Amino acid sequence: MKRAYWLDQVAFAYADRPALAIDHLAIHAGKVTALIGPNGAGKSTLLNLFAFLICPDAGEMYFFGQPVRGEDILALRRRVGLVAQNPYLIKGSVIDNVELGLKLRGIGKEQRRRSAMDALERVGLGGFGERPVSALSGGEKQRVALARALASEPDVLLFDEPFTYLDQGGVHLVEQAISNYARKSGKTVVFSTHERLQGAALADESISLFAGRVVGAPLINLFRGTLRDGVFDTGKLAIQVPRALDQGSYLAVDPEEIVLSPNPLNSSLRNSFPGRIIMIAEEAGRARITIDIGEKLHARITLESLQNLGLGLGKNVWVSFKATAVKVF
Amino acid sequence: MDYFADSFLAALRLIFQFDPKVYQIVWISLRISLTATVCAALLAVPAGVWSASTEFTGKRLLRQSLNSLMAMPTVMIGLIFYGLFSRRGPLGDFGLLYTPAAVIIGEAVLVFPLVMNLAMTAVESADPRLLPTLRSLGASRVQQFGLVLSETRLSLLVAVAAGFGRAIGEVGTAMMLGGNIQGLTRTMTTAIALETNKGEFELGLALGMMLLLVAFSVNWLLRPVERSAG
Repeated sequence: MKRAYWLDQVAFAYADRPALAIDHLAIHAGKVTALIGPNGAGKSTLLNLFAFLICPDAGEMYFFGQPVRGEDILALRRRVGLVAQNPYLIKGSVIDNVELGLKLRGIGKEQRRRSAMDALERVGLGGFGERPVSALSGGEKQRVALARALASEPDVLLFDEPFTYLDQGGVHLVEQAISNYARKSGKTVVFSTHERLQGAALADESISLFAGRVVGAPLINLFRGTLRDGVFDTGKLAIQVPRALDQGSYLAVDPEEIVLSPNPLNSSLRNSFPGRIIMIAEEAGRARITIDIGEKLHARITLESLQNLGLGLGKNVWVSFKATAVKVF
Repeated sequence: MDYFADSFLAALRLIFQFDPKVYQIVWISLRISLTATVCAALLAVPAGVWSASTEFTGKRLLRQSLNSLMAMPTVMIGLIFYGLFSRRGPLGDFGLLYTPAAVIIGEAVLVFPLVMNLAMTAVESADPRLLPTLRSLGASRVQQFGLVLSETRLSLLVAVAAGFGRAIGEVGTAMMLGGNIQGLTRTMTTAIALETNKGEFELGLALGMMLLLVAFSVNWLLRPVERSAG
C-alpha cells in the first residue's frame, strides 16, 4: 500500500524535553488514520511534523516516497492542510480566511471564490461567507479552519482534536467532511483524538501514542507501575505478564481480551480478579462494562454475552485475562 | 496673576482669530514631524516586523541597542548632525544645516529606534498561533511578512503614532539643526523656547496650547485603535 508518510527512527525534542521518539511509523495514503493518546502523548507534535512546521532532530522522514528536505519545505507545506485544535483566524470575514491558502498559492480571484464557497458548503457553513470571524463561536471557528484547509485540496488533511469544540451537529458534519475527503477524493486524512471510541469509529487505521512513542496497545485500561519478575505492580493490583518482558512503566489491558464470569474460572488465564460492575454502556454495538477490581477496568463483550451472563450493575463478577493480553511499555 | 491671565486671553485671541503667524508655525511643525515620522516608519516598521518574526544571532543585542537609543537625548542627535551638516563637516557641501531637511533627518533618526522597538513588541505580543498558521497555509517568507504586517497593523499604527508624538514634542534636534528660522524651520517647540525669551509670551502660550491640542488629538484618535489592538 502506498505510504503518505514514512518515519524512520525519528526523534524530536522541545529544548531538552523529548516529545517524540518513533522507531517506525507509516501513514497509508488514501486512508483515514487516527492518532490516539492521552494529552501530552505527542499527538500535536507529530501533526506539526506531518505539516512540515517542525523538522525532526534525528531520523528520516519520507512524504509519498520522497525524503523530506529543508529546501522543499514551502512546496511540501502547500501539499498538506493542518487544522489546529484551537485555530487562529485572520482578521476579517469568513471568506477572507477560507480564500487565504488559495491566495497564497496565487490562485485567481474567481476560482478562489468558487473553491472557498464549495469548502464552506462542505462544512455546513454555506451562508457564512461575509460574517466577521469575531462573531463566530468556537465550533464555527474550527469549521472555518477546516474549510480553509479543504479549500486548497491538499493531498493530506491533518486535523488536531477535531471534536473538542463541536456540538453534536458539528461533530456529525465534521465526521462527514473528514470521511468524504478520504473516500470521495481519495486523499489522506490524519486526525488526533484522546477519545478512543471516536477515533476507532471514524478511522480506517489507528495509531496509539503514549509519551511520544507509538505503542501497539489500544491505551484502554492503562496503568502505571513497576515491573519485576513477570509481575506488574500498579500499587493496587499485581498483574502477571509474559516472563520475557523486562522493562516498562506502563501497562495496558486489551478490553477485547477480558473474560467475565460469575465464578472463578478454572483455566489457563493467569490473571483472575474478583470485582463489582460499576457501569454498563453500549459502545458501537457492543457492551462496555466497567468493573472495580481495586483499579477500574473496562471490558468489551457482545450484547449477547451480556444477556447470557446475566450481568447487572452492582453485581459481583470475576475478571480474567491472559498474561499475553497485556502490553507493557 | 494679571500678567498670566492677560497673556492667556491674548493667546486665545491669537488662536481663534487665526493669527497667520501662529498657524504658519503649527503647519511647519506638522509638516516636518509628519515627514520625519513617515520616513522613519517606512524603514523602522518593516525592520521591526522582520526582526521580530525571524530568529538570528545578535537579536538580544539589537534589542538592547534600540532600548539605549530610545533614551538618546534629542540635543545629542542635534549635536551629532550639526557636526555632520555644518560647513566644515563631512556633509557640509550639501548645505543642509538650518533647513527643514536637516530637521527631518534628525527627527527621523530620533524616532527610528522608538518605532522599530515598538513594532517588534507589537509583533512579539501578537498571537503565538499567527506564524504557525501562516506557515501551514503555505505562506512564503515574503507572504508571511506581509500578513504579519497586516494582522498587527493596529499595534503598528500605535507605534508610529508614538514616534510622531516624540518628533512633534522634541526641541533639541529642531533647535540645533533648524535654527528657528521664521517661515522655514520655526516649529512650535523652538518658537516656544526661543520667542518667549524675546518677550512674546502670548505667542508661546498660544503655540503651547496648539502643541497640547495636537498631542491630545493623536491620543484621542488612537483610543479605539489601542482598545482593539489590546
